[in-house]
Amino acid sequence: MNERTGVEERQRTTGELPGFFGTHEPLPADEIRPEVWDLIDQWVAAHPGGRERLIPLLHRVQEEIGYLPFPVQEYVAQQLALSPIEVYGVVSFYHFFTTNPRGRYQLKVCMGTACFVRQGQRVLEAIESLLAIGIGDVTEDRLFSLEQVRCIGACGLAPAMMVNDEVHGHLTATEVRKLVRKLRARARRESAASAEEEASGDEPA
Amino acid sequence: MATNLPDSAIPNPLTRTDLAAIRNALSTQLATRLESRRGETPVRREVLVCAGGACVSCHADSVAQALRDEVAGAGLQDAVRVVEVGCMGLCDAGPLALVVPDGVYYPMLDPEKVQRVVSEHLAGNTPVADLELAWETPEGKLLHSREVPFFARQQKIALRNCGVIDPASIEEYIAADGYRALEQVLFELEPDEVLTVIKRSGLRGRGGAGFPAGLKWQFVREAVGDVKYVVCNADEGDPGAFMDRSILEGDPLSVIEAMTIAGRVIGSRQGYIYVRAEYPLAIERLEGAIENAWRCGLLGPDILGSGHTFEVEIRIGAGAFVCGEETALMRSIEGQRGTPRPRPPFPAQRGLWNRPTLLNNVETWANVPPILLRGADWYAGIGTQRSKGTKVFALAGAVRNTGLVEVPMGVSLAEVVEEIGGGMRSGLPFKAAQSGGPSGGCIPASAADTPIDYESLQELGAIMGSGGLIVMDSSTCMVELARFFLEFVVDESCGKCPPCRIGTRVMLNTLEEITAGRGRLEDLDLLESMAAHIKGTALCGLGQTGPNPVLSTLRHFREEYEAHVVDRRCPAGQCKALLTYSISEELCNGCGLCAKACPSDAISGTIKHVHSVNQELCIHCGSCLTACPTGALVGH
Ligand SMILES: Cc1cc2nc3c(=O)[nH]c(=O)nc-3n(C[C@H](O)[C@H](O)[C@H](O)COP(=O)(O)O)c2cc1C
Ligand code: FES
Repeated sequence: MNERTGVEERQRTTGELPGFFGTHEPLPADEIRPEVWDLIDQWVAAHPGGRERLIPLLHRVQEEIGYLPFPVQEYVAQQLALSPIEVYGVVSFYHFFTTNPRGRYQLKVCMGTACFVRQGQRVLEAIESLLAIGIGDVTEDRLFSLEQVRCIGACGLAPAMMVNDEVHGHLTATEVRKLVRKLRARARRESAASAEEEASGDEPA
Repeated sequence: MATNLPDSAIPNPLTRTDLAAIRNALSTQLATRLESRRGETPVRREVLVCAGGACVSCHADSVAQALRDEVAGAGLQDAVRVVEVGCMGLCDAGPLALVVPDGVYYPMLDPEKVQRVVSEHLAGNTPVADLELAWETPEGKLLHSREVPFFARQQKIALRNCGVIDPASIEEYIAADGYRALEQVLFELEPDEVLTVIKRSGLRGRGGAGFPAGLKWQFVREAVGDVKYVVCNADEGDPGAFMDRSILEGDPLSVIEAMTIAGRVIGSRQGYIYVRAEYPLAIERLEGAIENAWRCGLLGPDILGSGHTFEVEIRIGAGAFVCGEETALMRSIEGQRGTPRPRPPFPAQRGLWNRPTLLNNVETWANVPPILLRGADWYAGIGTQRSKGTKVFALAGAVRNTGLVEVPMGVSLAEVVEEIGGGMRSGLPFKAAQSGGPSGGCIPASAADTPIDYESLQELGAIMGSGGLIVMDSSTCMVELARFFLEFVVDESCGKCPPCRIGTRVMLNTLEEITAGRGRLEDLDLLESMAAHIKGTALCGLGQTGPNPVLSTLRHFREEYEAHVVDRRCPAGQCKALLTYSISEELCNGCGLCAKACPSDAISGTIKHVHSVNQELCIHCGSCLTACPTGALVGH
């Protein structure tokens, strides 16, 4: 049923071909590393089967690059013999999949019931006004992205949010401000450190 | 003291004799984990550290490591063993540990406390009184550890192993009577006899609808087809519920054993567990459990030499609430968009890939092995006339003891909230509890004496649901609560059927008008009639139950809706548009953040001096409230 006839033999390039989703002008940061194509090839080869492989494969790819850019979706479609719209249909249906790159710090604010009852809305509002971004957005410097999630299982710590994989609980607007300041400082420190490393790495030992 | 058999010592595959040997070797030691023996110095102790999801997020792993280091430092490594176990239930008190056989709980551990526990209790044999979990009763009596009502009032069947065994150890599961039920089913009982036991026990589905489990098994057993599937629904979509997650994290093998049993009864060789992606720890532990079971020959071909073959695979969801609905879930496993389809045909006839499929919820599965071991009569003796056994609730919200509790069906809500839950954290009065999440309804404090079972809750306009129980005190606005749940339904509606896609959107708009202070009295009737239409015409349970939170709050708290539309007042003080804002002179530090945040220049003041709100200009947006760092801004 899902057999797709006449799949175009396609170069594994990103921007050149006017694909199903139109042309893309990926930002340098979004350039898809060649390993990603290999990863897809290998995964498909290691998992024989039909369409039921689509969601597990998308999980695997998003785990690797953090989001699912259109060229990747098209490549996945081609490899599983589906049409791009079938893949996009699945990607857009499930909240977990995203077509936007995420920030270095992914803020996931819990909007589950327990957090709602303990004023989780205030946490979300505080972040939105502080970073001037909405849900699903990423700050211009790509430092922060904001998502809302439904219950992260830390109801005892409500209102709670996750910064990447780390849970922060009992939040208030003030706590949030402090946390953001801390994360900014951490990012600055880290990039200073890596710049230094690069600089010292250049010097002959 | 290696109490667990080393991996290499486990014969592969296991025989029934091996199972008996493991039980012999370990069961006495496991039994001490349930004891409370004080005042004597045991030869060996174990420290059980809760490694449930909530405790892990408060760094329980570093506490466990600190315990190990201190124990080794004190030279006690032969007398004390540190074991990481599943969720103990009292999530508010994490990181939590239990010293056995003394039966002493230590809540909120940190490195300093760990040091004292090791030197005073484990080395010095005197429990650390000021660190032990304690609870003062209303009569002023001080209770400790296991006597604390949170633990004392529970009866654990589905959670029997959670917080007791190491979820990563198949030996401990076996020693805790694991796989005895499967042995019975493979070697002693006919499939029809198993069916009879499940049916007579009265077990009903714990995923929400409460359908009799035995009957469902029978339908799938009788369905024609040589390929059949067994599915475990671990999508647990109700936001604020974490029962299923805790079972998977704390006792994954009980679900796998139960599915293996069902495979034998209905004639299936393949099972799937559909877990939501938001539960990485549960997925990790399940993967480990499946691997262990394979390694021991308890999954795979010819299990224990019986000729029964069964395999289990994990499928990971991708964040869609509707995928908890059984037909949508199966589509999702097939790699499609997770939209539901009309029933009949039911999954028992046409399920995964159109084959007969038996689908049950995690907690339903976890009840199966004890029912087979202890008998239908034992199980049917617990609970009420029509709701048998126990129910696990995830207690959260305004209550003091957030956590996981398992109680017999038929206990009252008051008992759960006031005694086990310890009452309101804020000290404000208890207002209502929401059961069944976005598909359920609220139970007002005035009905708190109602016994909790499927039928009584239905009469109140709520449902048992999967077990999320969110407690609210008087600071929660019930209109805003209804709006919250409806927003969730609108977000999660898959868009396939118009009543759900459009109808719930119209209802949400109406509720937004009400909470924004623009509601009219007619709106309340509109909400009621829309709700009736949606419930009668939506395709799946999502739409059919989505209006319930609105209907039940309208039923029990109509005066609160009226206050919003007639008096333009939010009695709970939560709806921003209906509040009057002012600045407390004592608390204002003159930082000016509120004035900066105000979009209508309604706030004036000079830096470092108390600011004030001009009520004429205020547009009641609440931005200042969010901006104020000192809590000086108040809305009432
Ligand atoms: C919108 C919707 C969401 C649901 N979510 C879940 C869920 O998260 N977990 C679950 O076990 N059942 C859920 N159900 C119920 C399932 O459709 C199904 O009835 C249940 O899993 C059957 O198992 P049981 O008989 O053991 O309860 C949901 C139903 C609907 C309509
Ligand atoms: S509702 Fe926020 S962690 Fe559960």
